Amino acid sequence: MPQTITIDPVTRLEGHGKITIQLNGQGEVEDAHFHVTQVRGFERFSEGRPFYEMPSLMARICGICPVSHLIASAKACEAIMSVRIPHTAAQLRRMLNLAQMVQSHALSFFYLSSPDLLLGMDSDPGGRHIFGVVAAKPELGRAGVALRRFGQRIIELLGNKRIHPGWVVPGGVTEPLAPAKRDEILAMMPEAYHGIKLALAAYKQIAESFQPEIAVFANFQSNYLGLVNEDGSVEFTDGALRFIDSAGNVIEDGITATRFTEVIGEAVEPYSYTKFAYYKPLGYPEGSYRVGPLARLNIATSMGTPLADAELAEFKQLASGPVQSSFYYHHARLIDILYGIEKIEQILTDPLILDKHVRAIAGVNRLEGAGQAEAPRGTLHHHYKVDENGLITWANLVIATGQNNNAMNKGVLQAARHYVKDGKFTEGILNRVEAVVRTFDPCLSCSTHAFGQMPLALTLVDANGGTVDQIVRG
Amino acid sequence: MSQPKIACLILACGNTLRGDDGVGPWLADWAEEHFGDEPRVHIISRQQWTPDLAADLAGAETVLFLDCSVESIPGEIKLRAIEPAQLKPGIATHHTGAAELLALARELYGAAPRNSLLLTIGAGSTEFGETFSPVVAAAMPEVQRLLRDTLSTLLG
Repeated sequence: MPQTITIDPVTRLEGHGKITIQLNGQGEVEDAHFHVTQVRGFERFSEGRPFYEMPSLMARICGICPVSHLIASAKACEAIMSVRIPHTAAQLRRMLNLAQMVQSHALSFFYLSSPDLLLGMDSDPGGRHIFGVVAAKPELGRAGVALRRFGQRIIELLGNKRIHPGWVVPGGVTEPLAPAKRDEILAMMPEAYHGIKLALAAYKQIAESFQPEIAVFANFQSNYLGLVNEDGSVEFTDGALRFIDSAGNVIEDGITATRFTEVIGEAVEPYSYTKFAYYKPLGYPEGSYRVGPLARLNIATSMGTPLADAELAEFKQLASGPVQSSFYYHHARLIDILYGIEKIEQILTDPLILDKHVRAIAGVNRLEGAGQAEAPRGTLHHHYKVDENGLITWANLVIATGQNNNAMNKGVLQAARHYVKDGKFTEGILNRVEAVVRTFDPCLSCSTHAFGQMPLALTLVDANGGTVDQIVRG
Repeated sequence: MSQPKIACLILACGNTLRGDDGVGPWLADWAEEHFGDEPRVHIISRQQWTPDLAADLAGAETVLFLDCSVESIPGEIKLRAIEPAQLKPGIATHHTGAAELLALARELYGAAPRNSLLLTIGAGSTEFGETFSPVVAAAMPEVQRLLRDTLSTLLG
């Protein structure tokens, strides 16, 4: 008799989603889906607003990665203005974006995923959270808190606000960097380096014991997309997109924001409010791809900073081509953090970093513009059309989670097929299926919600809607 | 933690767009206006308290938490001592309360303020809006007086 297992809501995610697992009459997994159950209406309600309001409006989509939206949005506006922002403004924005990446990755790794990694997938779910990590591994707990503070403090120093800073505007930033702020950021560097080195060492120590999970956590061949510089090094704020296939061959390079819609399409599935991005020449779903930390490291030839380059070289030893298991998003996330810290330090030594010229001014010079940046979770694309008065007539956002959507669904199915046997499951199995989604660190248009307090119910339902079995958490 | 400790940390919490929930940040602004020049006082105002604030607590001699309460009678003012919570299974991780923050400070940094107080006002309404309900607005003079007196006591 066919049955359905529902995990609703999925915990320790940024946003609200659920997982359903369909079983056949023999209790084998027939299909599985990750559903995004919340609606993002930002494209629609931005219509009619002046284009220069867009960065601060779009930033409200998320309380975790508002900076990426600010930057992608400002770049789309600058395409409408036809301006090139001053060098110092570009560097300051790059630093802001990296600071956000560091704090967001610290949240993902230490707060959301390290309870699974450090305490175990089968550990007591009541203690499987950051407080449990603090009690068991206080030094790592301190490192996680310190790295998150590091990123948040830089955002606060630059943007005068920890969340939703209004400092990034079309044309650049509203004020230059003060020397005292630069010095404060530089003073935080040693603790940040200490924290990430500790985390990398701890991860490498435990990674080997997760070989069973590595084998089935969205471990399949796929394409990858991300921003790189002209020399092939990782880039978060400028550069252009590179698309590689599952063997690591560069299929398309130098994809600018203007060309994005030429090569990337969006499909819709009836079970999710999030779209499914794909590479148009390959069609859907064959053209599906992954973005984010794993993709960035797979497409890049270097990080461009010495310590992160050494880590990248080690990372690339994990496979002969692209590293395919999504479990390695955790590893890649830590390398991203190391790169971010090094790059911020490099930016602060730029002789022009205190320059006062940080904003270009212009009006509407084009009726359409697009901008792109790397959010912590992957590539983010904003595309706007305006009328002659600069009022938005159309907007479209392609977010990282949508670009990872197909891989997340395939990953959930792969893990469910591996772990759920004869229609039976345990809390540890449930947690592993959720943990597949957590590797991607999806951001489901969250601003605030109670992910740590959400109850979790996994229900086994028969074809007549009757409850066969249920596990309730929280 | 080698820096000298702050004599009094004021830690406020609330959303200024949700009526009485904004009372904590409002009081933090009021304290900034009246005690901003006092070097022994450090004021932090957040929409919610998160674990990273444990480091600030570890660096403070005393702390005064400011928040609204949906459990108190609307307009009721309460000032009470707070002890560190037990870090046990089931503890909330998204919104961290004052007691959990104190526990985290102790666990992570081996330090917590020697005197920790929580000042709350019972919420009358937390609907969307940037104004206080009449009952909370009426309580504000008393809250301000209590905040001033408490701060004087904490600073010795």
